[in-house]
Amino acid sequence: MGQDPLGDDQIEKSSERRSFLTGATSVAMTGGLAAGYGTFAGVAGRFLYPAHPTKTAWFFVTDLDSMKEGDSMAYTTPVGATVTVTRQGRSGEVEDFIALSSTCPHLGCKVHWEPQNDRFFCPCHNGIFDPTGRATGGPPGEAGQSLPQYSLKVENNLLFMEVPVETIADSGKISTSEKTQFAGDPGHDDCLNPRKPGVA
Amino acid sequence: MGTVSQWFTDRIPVSGDDLKEMTNEPVPNHLKRWWFCLGGTPAYLFVVQIFTGILLAIYYQPSPSTAYESVRYITEQASFGWYIRSVHKWAATLMVAAVILHQMRVYFTGAYRKPRELNWMIGMFLLGCTLVTGFTGYSLVYEQLSYWGATVGANITDSVPVVGPFLKSVMLGGDTYNQQTLSRFFILHGAVLPTTMVLLIMTHLTLIRLQGVTEFEFEDERGTEKKTFSFFPDHLYTEIIMGLVLMILLSTLACIFPAMMGARANPLITPEVIKPEWYFYVTFRWLKLFSGTFAILSMGFIVFLMFIWPFIDALFRRKNKNSELSVWIGIIAVLTIIGLTVWEASVAH
Repeated sequence: MGQDPLGDDQIEKSSERRSFLTGATSVAMTGGLAAGYGTFAGVAGRFLYPAHPTKTAWFFVTDLDSMKEGDSMAYTTPVGATVTVTRQGRSGEVEDFIALSSTCPHLGCKVHWEPQNDRFFCPCHNGIFDPTGRATGGPPGEAGQSLPQYSLKVENNLLFMEVPVETIADSGKISTSEKTQFAGDPGHDDCLNPRKPGVA
Repeated sequence: MGTVSQWFTDRIPVSGDDLKEMTNEPVPNHLKRWWFCLGGTPAYLFVVQIFTGILLAIYYQPSPSTAYESVRYITEQASFGWYIRSVHKWAATLMVAAVILHQMRVYFTGAYRKPRELNWMIGMFLLGCTLVTGFTGYSLVYEQLSYWGATVGANITDSVPVVGPFLKSVMLGGDTYNQQTLSRFFILHGAVLPTTMVLLIMTHLTLIRLQGVTEFEFEDERGTEKKTFSFFPDHLYTEIIMGLVLMILLSTLACIFPAMMGARANPLITPEVIKPEWYFYVTFRWLKLFSGTFAILSMGFIVFLMFIWPFIDALFRRKNKNSELSVWIGIIAVLTIIGLTVWEASVAH
């Protein structure tokens, strides 16, 4: 024992210090766990609580005189959703117009207005919708999936549409090249054929 | 107090001491090294995935008309939705990485050798489940990568000889991508695969407990008397610290690189370049190097070899007891995998 550098007194102090350190680390660790996972539980709880409704705003679409009965125009909302606005009457009231999403509820292809057939048509799988957006044929008809409608209003002979304005989605990217892609497309299942250049 | 514990003891006839005896396994000293915690890491991340996955499933709607919109809702509108989704995405990425590192550690330390061959095979199943869960996961978002990735995946399945077309139509619920496809992927991703993985993980852990962890001795430990330390509380503390570090890492990644929304899936527009997630780069490069059926069959053969590797290694070691052949083959395999991944990552096509 003569070689032991620590006296009894020092050993006691050292063990006291050790038990204090053990206690302190246990408290710190428990506190850290509670704070960390507690925060996460709070975040999860907040996530489950219903979110605030979508922020929308009224956007100018066109003046009434530039659209005749039977005309339709493509409109891209600030968040990139594509909408077809069609004039189906000549009263000059908001009831003349209908704004429908041009994204087919089946697989998301682009729907367009066919004035000669008085219908909306999706070239991907021959989806057909009546002038009010109700699905009448093709896969959306079978599934009973209609085109979502947007609210419109007329003020001072100008047409406005209420659209969602919040997004970080990149959905606007598609619409730039979309027109050239589907122009003249007869609408057939080949569009699902992935064996095209660029895809291995 | 006594009556309460008596009440439970009457109904659950296991004493605290028995329970301690059963679970408090002595842990070999080498597990104090951090890189031996790579098995616990994917297990922890799996729990994170279950938890965040359930939360995401509350808002997610698996149909082509609503999927993208519901993911957008989660990302942009639901409170902290971006955080939950980003943690889910990053935990998936880290889980794949951790599973691969864990497998490499087991391989290069020879921990798969007799009597642990079966556990290696269960591990291979878990690797497969992890990868398929990853694939079905990013297919659910219904962005361009989801749609075309699933379509390319279906075509790869199609080129499997004999059973390919059947598997493809089971996978897609039809000949082409259709309205039933997403719900299949959703059920696979959220129910079938996780349940399978829970069962496999339980078997994996039970076998570890029954066989004991492979014992290693490192140069600096030679001669030390106590070869093990106790599971409770020492190893548990290690795992808790690992969990906290991972949670901090996940939160940091989620904040700096949150999961974003890509372009919405469009069956009419084939993207110029389509790439799967990084963990499929090897497979993707391999498929581009060789023609359809050969690429599939050779890939299947390689996976089969990996699966039965403990027995191949045993053959090597029967010839030469100290054969290091497995290690050299492993090094070549790892370098090849890294090479093909970097190659695929650095080129457009």
